[in-house]
Amino acid sequence: MNFLDALNISSSGLGAQRVRMNVISSNLANINTTHTPEGGPYVRKDVVFAACPGSCSFKNILDNQVTANLPEVRVVGIINDGRQPLLRYDPQNPDANDKGYVAMPNINLIEEMVNMISATRSYEANVAAIKAAKKMALKAMEIGR
Amino acid sequence: MKTIAIQNNIKPLLSPPINEKQSQEQQGNSFGKMLSNSITEVNSLQNEADKAIQELATGKGKGIHETMIALDKAEVSFKLMMQVRNKIIAAYEQIMRMQV
Repeated sequence: MNFLDALNISSSGLGAQRVRMNVISSNLANINTTHTPEGGPYVRKDVVFAACPGSCSFKNILDNQVTANLPEVRVVGIINDGRQPLLRYDPQNPDANDKGYVAMPNINLIEEMVNMISATRSYEANVAAIKAAKKMALKAMEIGR
Repeated sequence: MKTIAIQNNIKPLLSPPINEKQSQEQQGNSFGKMLSNSITEVNSLQNEADKAIQELATGKGKGIHETMIALDKAEVSFKLMMQVRNKIIAAYEQIMRMQV
C-alpha cells in the first residue's frame, strides 16, 4: 500500500528528532560536568542526519531504484563539538589544574534551548505530516460512500 | 451506424476471450485471490499493531511514535477493508433484489 510509505518516512523523521532530543538532554544534563571516563570535561555532542533511501536495507535500496527515490532520514552519527572548554577559576575543585582553573564544558544554555525548540517543532511537523497522510487516505475512502 | 459501434463495444464484455480467462486463472489473479491477499495484509497489520502495543507496554519495544503509527496503519487498512466489504454486500443485495 502506497500511503504506508508516507507514514514510514515520517516515522523516520520522528525517530531522528527523538535522537536529537536525547542528545540535547545529555548536553543540558552535563552542562557542569568536569569529570568523564575519557578525562577532561564533558564535550558537547551533536547529531548528524543523512538521507537514506528506504530503511537502508538492500531490498529497500533496490525498490527505490525501481520506483520513486524518496529518502528517509537516518542518524548516521553523534559527533563531538570541537569548541575549546571554558576555563573557570575554582581552586577548590578537585579537577582544577595547578593554576586553579577548571575546564568546564563549553555548552551554551541558550543555544541548547533553541535547539530543543527546533527539535520539538520538527517533531510536531512530522506528526502533522502523518495526520495529513492519514486524513487523505480516509478522505479517499469516502469516494465510494 | 451507432448501434453497430455500441454492439462492437459490448461484445468483449459479453463474451470474454476464453484464452484470457484461462491465463488469468493460471496466474491466480482472480478477484477472490486478490481479496484474500489484501485481507491477509490487513490481518498482518493488525497483528503488527498488537505486537507494537505489547512491546511498548513491556518496555522492550520501539518508541511511542512507532506504536502509534502501527495503530494508524492497522486502522486505515481495516477501514479500507470494511469499505470493500460494504461495496461487495451492496452489489450482492442489488443482485438479490433483481426481479425474476
